Amino acid sequence: MYSAVLLSGGMGTIMLKDIPKQYLLLGGKPMIIHSLDRLDHIEAIDEIVIVCAQEYLESLQLMLYQYNITKKVIFADAGNTRQASVYNGLIACTQDDVIIHEAARPFATTSDFKRLIDAKCKNAILGCDIPYTVVKGDSTITGILNRSELVNVQLPQKFEKSVLLDAHNMAIKEKKQFTEDASMVYYYKNCPIDIIRGDVNNIKITNPSDLIIGEMIYKEYINSRK
Amino acid sequence: MNAMKTCIITGSGSGIGQATAIHLAMMKEYDHIAMIGRNMLALEETKKEMLKRDDHLEVSIWNMDLSTPKKATQIIDEIYASHGTINTLLNIAGYTDPQPLLSTTLENMEYTYAVNVFSPLEFIRASVRYMKKNGGKILLVASTAGMTPRPGWLSYATSKAAVIAMAKTLTEELAEYGILVYCISPGRCATKLRKRLAPNEDPSTIMQPNEVAQIICNLISENENCLDGQNIIIRKQCNVKKV
Repeated sequence: MYSAVLLSGGMGTIMLKDIPKQYLLLGGKPMIIHSLDRLDHIEAIDEIVIVCAQEYLESLQLMLYQYNITKKVIFADAGNTRQASVYNGLIACTQDDVIIHEAARPFATTSDFKRLIDAKCKNAILGCDIPYTVVKGDSTITGILNRSELVNVQLPQKFEKSVLLDAHNMAIKEKKQFTEDASMVYYYKNCPIDIIRGDVNNIKITNPSDLIIGEMIYKEYINSRK
Repeated sequence: MNAMKTCIITGSGSGIGQATAIHLAMMKEYDHIAMIGRNMLALEETKKEMLKRDDHLEVSIWNMDLSTPKKATQIIDEIYASHGTINTLLNIAGYTDPQPLLSTTLENMEYTYAVNVFSPLEFIRASVRYMKKNGGKILLVASTAGMTPRPGWLSYATSKAAVIAMAKTLTEELAEYGILVYCISPGRCATKLRKRLAPNEDPSTIMQPNEVAQIICNLISENENCLDGQNIIIRKQCNVKKV
């Protein structure tokens, strides 16, 4: 069985809204509910650990009731960084295997979660091809990258809890920050991490325009009517 | 083993609701029909008729005046707690007290909306919490009065327009959960409510509750999944010739 860590600690500064993006409405319901509804349906998940700021605890509890989320839910405090939030969530998990997901990715489907869980490797991520060219550099190009060797890293991801926790402890010791957990586990543990084919529609809602695109994805990809 | 199938129906003491409840019994798709209303004698009569058609059917009766919508959640929770499933919800109960604008009181509007809009809303909200796990079907009965101008029918017409909009909105909002929302707008139908509106009309010349009930049962049958999300107008063509 798995513990699912759902990151919901962001404050929505890029979205230029008073409410963090994960609580904004998308497809007629709070963005975080999209992920909670799907996690709630997956038998292999025993508990959901929601990592959030204390001030949203009460509204989240109301949402859990309103949307009748029946799985065991544990709350963990958001940290100052994404990495610290994952760590706090990880500490609260009671299962040996964990899934890391973020509320700002509302289009990871039940099938995505199941394919990840079914992956033979204990550690796996969702990822997809990069359809555009990426180069190294800042104000000038300093190197080229072969995009056929690159992967767009998505969430959800799954890990053995002990492996991920070890990696986090090493990162804390070295005061090193990673943008996501697969890179961290690869860096410190050098253990196999499978890449499961993700879908381009599994976007992260970051900018205000993503909400508009997200409404279209919800209508055409999640709720498609033939 | 298949789980028990439950259908909840309001307004089954008379008219379209009663005819639908009896059709449901003949349909044999449900194990349990929960009827909600305030006229207990009428509901008992309906139950008797249903059991004549299917004596294995479980029929439960729940007392509620639909002008006080807040009780809806408690009843839905109790039905779920006692039977473990809610598969279908049929909001058929309706009310009208047609008045011209200058005689329409706020009380008239509030009462009409309580029965026609707020009670269905509360039943839907409470039921969806359970239905969203396995999908289901919800039906709302609007009216052609909600689509075309009817001087003197302000409260009824606007409430039914709200029902049509509610059905269309919820169709989109609940699609991900596999919940199909149906909306029907019957035209003139030989019910007690119609008799109040048109006392001089010969009921045998207009559409019968049985005819609407048959359509409702077709919509909520297992095989139907293409007609949700639209306002289905039900009108009888009285000049049909047998060919």
